[in-house]
This record gives sequence, structure tokens and C-alpha cells, in this order.
Amino acid sequence: MSVVAGKELRIVGFLCNWCSYGGADTAGVSRFKQPSDLRIIRVPCSGRVDPLFVVKALLNGADGVLVAGCHPNDCHYSEGNFYARRRLEMLKKFLSYMGIDDKRFHYTWVSASEGARWQQVVTDFTKQIHALGPLHQKEEAGD
Amino acid sequence: MRVGVFICHCGNNIAGTVDVAKVAEEARNMPGVQFATDYMYTCSEPGQEEIKEAIQREQLDRVVVAACSPRMHELTFRRTVEKAGLNRYFFEMANIREHVSWVGEDKDLNTNKAIEAVKLAVEKVKQNKPLFPSSFEVNKRVLVIGGGVAGMQAAIDCAEGGLQVVMVEKSPSIGGMMARLDKTFPTVDCSICILGPKMVDVSQHDNITLHAYSEVEEIKGYVGNYQVKIRKKATYVDWTKCTGCGECTEKCPSKDAYDHFNYGVAPTTAITIPFPQAIPKKATIDPTYCRQFVRGKCGVCAKICPADAIDYEMKDEIVTEEVGAIITASGYGLIDLDRLPEYGGGRYPDVVSGIQYERLLNASGPTEGHILRPSDKEEPKTIVFVSCAGSRDKSIGIPYCSNFCCMYIAKEAILTRDHIPDSKVYVFYMDIRSPGKGYDEFTRRAQEEYGVRYVRGRVARVFPKGKKMIVKGVDTLLGTQIEVEADLVVLATAVTAAPGAPQLAEKLRISYDQHAFYVESHPKLRPVETNTSGVFLAGCCQGPKDIPASVGQGSAAAAKVLSLFSRDMLESDPAVANVNINVCVGCRKCINTCPYGAIEEEELRDGRIVAKVLETVCAGCGVCTSTCPCGAIQLQHFTDNQLLAEVNALCLS
Amino acid sequence: MTQKKLKEVVQKVLPDVDMVIGYRQGFDPVHATPFFVTRPEQIDELIWNPLCVHNLASYIPSLTTNKKVAVIVKGCDSRAINQYLQENLINRENLVVIGIPCSGVVSVSKVLKAVDHQIIESVSCENHAVTVKTSQGEKKLSVSDVSPDKCKTCLYPTPLVYDHLVGDPITSDKEPESVYDEVRSFEEKSLEDRFQFWKTELDRCIRCYACRNACPMCICQDRCIAESRDPHWVTQKTNQTEKFMYHMIHALHLAGRCVECEECTRVCPMEIPVAKIKKKINMEMDQLFDYKAGLNAEDTPPMYTFKVDEETIEEHEL
Repeated sequence: MSVVAGKELRIVGFLCNWCSYGGADTAGVSRFKQPSDLRIIRVPCSGRVDPLFVVKALLNGADGVLVAGCHPNDCHYSEGNFYARRRLEMLKKFLSYMGIDDKRFHYTWVSASEGARWQQVVTDFTKQIHALGPLHQKEEAGD
Repeated sequence: MRVGVFICHCGNNIAGTVDVAKVAEEARNMPGVQFATDYMYTCSEPGQEEIKEAIQREQLDRVVVAACSPRMHELTFRRTVEKAGLNRYFFEMANIREHVSWVGEDKDLNTNKAIEAVKLAVEKVKQNKPLFPSSFEVNKRVLVIGGGVAGMQAAIDCAEGGLQVVMVEKSPSIGGMMARLDKTFPTVDCSICILGPKMVDVSQHDNITLHAYSEVEEIKGYVGNYQVKIRKKATYVDWTKCTGCGECTEKCPSKDAYDHFNYGVAPTTAITIPFPQAIPKKATIDPTYCRQFVRGKCGVCAKICPADAIDYEMKDEIVTEEVGAIITASGYGLIDLDRLPEYGGGRYPDVVSGIQYERLLNASGPTEGHILRPSDKEEPKTIVFVSCAGSRDKSIGIPYCSNFCCMYIAKEAILTRDHIPDSKVYVFYMDIRSPGKGYDEFTRRAQEEYGVRYVRGRVARVFPKGKKMIVKGVDTLLGTQIEVEADLVVLATAVTAAPGAPQLAEKLRISYDQHAFYVESHPKLRPVETNTSGVFLAGCCQGPKDIPASVGQGSAAAAKVLSLFSRDMLESDPAVANVNINVCVGCRKCINTCPYGAIEEEELRDGRIVAKVLETVCAGCGVCTSTCPCGAIQLQHFTDNQLLAEVNALCLS
Repeated sequence: MTQKKLKEVVQKVLPDVDMVIGYRQGFDPVHATPFFVTRPEQIDELIWNPLCVHNLASYIPSLTTNKKVAVIVKGCDSRAINQYLQENLINRENLVVIGIPCSGVVSVSKVLKAVDHQIIESVSCENHAVTVKTSQGEKKLSVSDVSPDKCKTCLYPTPLVYDHLVGDPITSDKEPESVYDEVRSFEEKSLEDRFQFWKTELDRCIRCYACRNACPMCICQDRCIAESRDPHWVTQKTNQTEKFMYHMIHALHLAGRCVECEECTRVCPMEIPVAKIKKKINMEMDQLFDYKAGLNAEDTPPMYTFKVDEETIEEHEL
């Protein structure tokens, strides 16, 4: 699986089914153009996103990871995004300590009606990752 | 593994910016893919036939459709593959329309993105497991929380539909806010006269059990099988003996108790029957004002009660009711007058709220229907109504419109002109919102027939001057400031969520918004359902609304419950969490974090404690799976391995 | 002497429990070892000195399900007990805690370095110093010079939970802020330097999982996802990616749970500063949620709870 060399970087998105995936759909319905880098993985709730998924993606070839969920208080499952908020905030502060630029990971809250906002998030985050360039976490010759 | 991949053109929606033939070609090369094709409209009947035929012909065991959003058609295609003999969970969708063709402009980049989206879906579907729903029995009894007009309508409709109903009402009588009103707009019907028969229906219906002066303490269980603990609060009067004769209220020496029913516009006795048409018509003692409780000596009511019903030693009682569904009709609240000090709210007795004014107008109210100033009991001649007192005001955190104040102001103004023919009545308004049937004609009548002076402008301040209240505002149509010397000022105080709304929502496991109004499943298409199955909404707890809308929602909620109960067994969604007891170490982190309380401890035969998922309660959020340190509990259909397959497909080169 | 008082307390406690877990002299003069006393004759072998480095609390979860156990803990060890209580992992009725206020222990690897890795013939201990005899002679080392990093910033020398306290309580003379000094100084390095540091350190990792096995909070070590194919988070490839992944899993699973006993660093055969990774997350837990693991039994670890309004978490802008 390789990105289109020179044009795209590998950006993985974890979107919650009820709000942010719906927001991305709304952006599509409204034909809001976005850079094509982002690849979306659907999860039922942002609370399903174990910080380890973000780490796994970044260590194994992703250049950027985006997690989006419902706005706090609007979670379809009442509390899932409250857990997500704490855990992802902790991860965001931790990444740079290990030498991974925390600007490569972004989490945000997008509701199903916020198509324009989704377009903004994807465009801005893609720009941010392109400004940082590829993240070389390629393994050296293993033993 | 034999995966079939179907790339949809969706007419030109996808094919216009994605080379669908190329995507199908690349899909054929993906490991595990047996068959791949592209098709014009996959969701159409011939399209679905094509899929079914391909499954048979190619002996496919898993299917991927690359088309629109799964939020659109996942259910459609799941049914298709099921009809062809596959388990419906051996199906995945790749979104190449909303997320690719509609948002990207470069055909090459789009095509590549579509290929990768298909690869993701193929890798995921290869990890999918078959899931089978199970059935469970449903208890055909319904709990209605709240005895206002919405709750009563819901209860009556359910009872008439043959269901057993348990109603819980937190005040001593049912009737809610509507029982406090004098007349209703736009017909100027006597409120209690039209409400009374409903209240009697509720109290006398064979299928309805009423717990008044009670609150919901705890709710356990899941749709079809709830166990609800109800706290029957101590009234200190044995209601099985009390006849509602009212002797106690006449003789009670403590006469300045806060009157909840009258919203404090006048005091009442410590032992009281809330209003003449109260149901149940029984007395209740408020211990904060009762001299027997506060000082330890009185006992007058106990001495004179002909039925010997007084019991100072009474304690709260907890009863448990088992029901299959819950209708929440818990009503609304109003902001305290204290929050409007610029209008004199809470400072001056002659500044009252709309509901307090309603009690002054009401013939069974504290002034027997005579409009009298609270300060000196004189009849006011100039009365000023202030619309939007708190509503539509971001600065106090109430940005919304309270829905019915424009209408009740018009009604109260008309009634005022009727009661006091030589009165001057002013209404300061920003807009007049009168959308219902006959509503605009009604507000026009107030202005044209009844001579109510509508002033378009806001009030800046209300302050006393001698015995009068000066209302200082602006008339924007005339373009001038105006001051009115009023005898009485009525503020249309903003509607809020009912006190205790967030706590009740937490017990019900439903969401509430930043104003504590309960959140419906869909703002347009599912106004009386919540995202918690088995819990429905009716009336103002979902948002401010007038009586016909509340009654409509009461009936709607009842219809939902009746349809839920139309079968004896319900099917549970099998995409729930599942525990591998060989891996679970019993740390209980999942149990503590589950938003639904859907996980409990289970003791195995060797004494080990592991987690166990209550399949019917699990809503499928997956917080447990991301919490579990050893991967023992997995949300089916979104397991770690399934999501990792997607991550690996994207990242590992 | 504390050691004498300790034996007296154990004498009193042993009849009521199935075993007392303490320390005795280990396989060589510079090592102590965990000791499970079940008979009164064994009490005399108990020791208490700066060699008693092990966190004996780690044994408690598996034993208190059906045995009554007494355990000897230092201040840092007692935090693990409080953390177990927060997470409801032990049966408190089956546990007797014998607390010993501690003024510091030694790091065996630092002692060995100080004597040039000569074979140690004998070690004698006083409260604040150890005298090490090798073929090259005797060397008196002050405990604070050869103690693990945790002792240099120790805020809890007296156990935070105990049923018996052996010795007088000791108050910490360390600045509370100093606990995370090493995190702050590490963060002054550039992003690239930080990555290179971890790349170098973790390159030595042999995935022996000693750090995980020694950690008191890793009670699921027998079912660890780092060694599982279901779910398959980490492969068995011995490359940088997998080594980073394992250590990130360990650190993230300890978020809001790590009691800073630094057993992980102590047991690492490759001398990787494993605890250094956890320290950063601990600092964040403190700053974001005003939470330090293991201080009292009533807290709730921050990753398993939430507030509807989080004052310390702002929405991130791009």
C-alpha cells in the first residue's frame, strides 16, 4: 500500500460512526473539496479508540493520525467521548517525549451536521502533516 | 476465503471522478478476493440480484461493496447477502462516494484512494466473524415518569392499549403545570376543566397504578426488563385513611409555608392539599414549616383529623416496579425571578412571573381570581407584561426561545382586560411568535379587540417609585424611549429544564444537552425516542413546547411503546461486547467504565472472577474494549484484530 | 534497631496469617531476596537494610484471594497497595501491612559500578552507608550516592498505609517539584535528540518482559497483549518498531497507575531507563487531573473516569 509518491502522505483517520463520520458524509454531500490523503477507519465511538491504535499507526508508517468524535455531552453512547478526551489528551502530551512530533496527532469533535468544519479540519491537518513531511519510522534491517 | 468485491458507479456520482473499472481490476489482485466487478447502481434491485447471483456462482463467503456511505446502505446490503445465505456480518462497505468521489478532484488520486478504501474493507471483512442475534422476553408494563399533561396522555393511551402502566409523579398531585393555569390559549378554555377528566381517567383506570409524591430512585436492567426502585416520600399523612376533607388545612397554625403549587405568590399552611381538584386529593405535611417537626410541639392536625390519618413517624418507602419500557415526561422548570434583578425580579413583590400571575387569575388561587397586587392587595390598573424575560439571552446562558410565552402573554393580557375593564395593559415584545392553529388570530385579537398595547421594544429596567413600578423601555417602531408607570409587572420568565433533570437523565442513561433538555434520537425524524432503547420522551423535558405538542408527543411515545410491545420477544443486536474468559483477569476496569452498566462480575467454578456482558444492555460503544489491558473483552464487529487489520492494511508497506 | 523491632512485629503477626513476606540475604552479599516466612523458626533470617530493594507488594494480588498474608513494605511499595485498593485488586481483609519507614536503598548496578564490577566478598550495612569488601579492599559508599533515582526525589519515606509501623516515621526533605525534574530536563532536548535517545536505549531491549513482570500494577502479565496474537498488537520481529510498540503499550497501560517504584528499571538486564518513560505520563496525570497514583485508597485512576467539564483540557486548534 503506497501513497501516491510526491503528492500524498499517509494520514489515518478514526471517525466515530454517529457524529464525525456523519460530518464527513455531510461534507461529501455538500461537495466540500478536501485533499485526498486521509484514509478513514470507522469506529462506533471515539471511546473505542485505544491510544494504542494511534501509536500503532504512527510507528508503522502513518505520517499523521486524526481522531474525531462527537462533541462532549453529545456522545451517542453518553460517555464514550469523555473517556476518549482524557486518554487522547494524555497521548498527545506523551508522544513528543518519545520523539514523535505531537503535531502529527490531532483529535477533535465534529458533529454530523458540521460538513464545512470537517472540510476545514481535513484541509488544515493535511497541510500540517505536509509541512512536517514524512515520518521516517522505517525499521532498519531487523535481526 | 472467497471475498467478492462490487464497485458501484452510482451513475456518475462515483464513476465521474473515480476509475471504477481500475478499482475492480486492482481488487482482483488483493489476497483473498475471488471475484470483483463494477456495476452501475448496486443498491437497485438488479444490482442486488447481481450480488446474490455472484455469491452463488462464485461461492463467495464474504462481500465488500464500494459505494456510498454505510450510514446510507449498510442495512440494505446486509439484507441482500443474508438473502443469499451468508451471515449478514460477513459484509463490509467502502465509502468511495461521500469520502472520495464527491470530495476529491484529481481522478488519479481519487482512484488510488478508492482502491485503498476497498483494500481496507477487504482486510476487515476477512477478519469478520458471523454474529447471531438472540431473543429475549419483554415485560409488557410501562413506567411513565411525570404526571403532567404529556405523561397523563401517554399513560392513558398505553392503558387503553391494554398495557399495565405505573406512573410516578414527584409532587403530591398529578396535573403538572397545566393544572396551575387559569385558561388555555387560543380558545380560552378553563384549563382544569379540560384537564380534570384526564386526571380522573388516570386515577381511576384499572391499568394505571399511580405513585404520587414519589420519585425514581434507581433504574436497573435493559429494554424489556427494567427493575425500577421508586421512593415514595413520606407525606406524614396516611393516604389510605385521609379523605381530603381539608379540616387540617383550616386549623393549621403555621401559615407561611412556601406554596409550591402557587409558585410562592402567596404562602400556604404547613399541611396542605395542593389545589381543590388535586388527584390524589390527600393532605401532605411540609416538615420544614410544620411546627411539630421544627419545634416539637403542635399536633393540631393530628388532634382534629376525623380519620386519624396523621402520622408524624412516617418514613420514606422504597417500592420496586418491573417494567419493559419507560416514558419520560418530567416537564420543565422556570428561571428564578432572582436572576432578573434588572426587572425587579425577586426584589419587589409587585413584579411577578407569568405562572404566578396565572395563579392570581385563577378562581381557586390565593386571591380567588381577583387580580390583586401582592404588596397591598389593591387592584392594579396598569399592568405591564415583559416578554423574553431571560429567554433568547446568551448573557445568562439561555439562548433559546421558550416557545409559548408570546401566546400566554396574549391570553393573560386578554383575561386582564376582561377582569379589569378599565385597565391599561402593555406588552413589551421583541417578536410575536404565534405559529399554531388560531394562534396569530388570537394575538391579533388581543391587540385589536381587547386594546392591549403591544410595544415593540425591550425593557431596560423596572424600579419602584412610591407605590408604582416604573417600567423603562424602548418603542422601536416609534423610535423613542418610553416609561410606563405600572401597578403590576408580569415577567414571562424563561423556561428551563425541570429541577433534577440531569440526575434523572443519568438514572435513565439518556443524554441531555447543555440546557439539560433531553436529547432525542433524531431532531426531525425521531422526536420521542432516545438513543437508549426502551426509553422514550414526551413533552417539555425534550424542549419547551405548548400543550397540543405535549399531548401529541405523549400519544406518540405511547404508540412507540405499544409497537415495541407488539411482539412477545425482542431481538438483540449481536454486535455487542464479548468476554474471552480464558484471558480475562478480573480487574473489573471494563465494569467500572461501561456507560451502560452492561457488564457484571461472574464467578467461575474455580472461584476466579471474570467479566460478563449483559448482551441486551450492551449498546456497542466499545469503551470496554479500549479499556481492557489484556484484550479479553472485545466489541464484536469492531474487535482489536479487525481494526488492526485496517491499520496494517494502510500503514505496513 | 529496626531489624530487631521488625522481627518482634513479625513474631506477633505470624500466628494470624498464612505467611509473612519480607527480605532475607540473597544469593550473594550484595543482594537481598524476597522471603516467605511460614514458620516461627524462619523469623530470625529476616533482614532490614539498604539492600532491601524489591517491591514485595507485587506478590499480594495473587495471594490474598484465598490466603491471609502479611507483607513488609517501604514507602514506595505502600503506594502500590493503595493503588491496588483503588482498583479493587486485593482483598484487604486478607492483608496485614507491616510498614517500615525507609531512608533510601541501594541500586545494585550502581554499587557494582562503584567497585569496578569486582567480585563482592562481603557487604555490611548501616542506616546511611554500605561498606563493600572486594579483593581490592573495602569501600564505604554512602547510600545516597548509590541509590536508585527514585530515592533522590522520594516524597513518601513513610508508608502511606500500614497496620503496623516498624520504627519512627520519617518526613521527606525533598522538594515536591523535584520528582519530575528529570522529565523537564529531558524535554529541553530537541525532538530529534529525544527520538535518538529512545532509539539508542530501546535498541538494547531484548523483549524479556522483566520490566512488565516486576511491575506491581501489571497484574495481567500472564495474558499480556504484547505476547498475544488475539489481539495481535505486536509481532515477534525484533526491530525498532516492535520494541517501541511494546514500551508504549506498557507505558500507556500504566497511565494514571504507575506508582513510581522503579522496579522496571531495576530489573532490566540491559539497563534501559524504563521508568523514565512512565515518569512523563505521571507528570501529565498530575498536571491534568491533579492525580498521583497510590496516595490513598479512595481515589479513582484518571483514565477510568471523567468529568463532564474538564477545566484542564482545551480543544486543540490546527
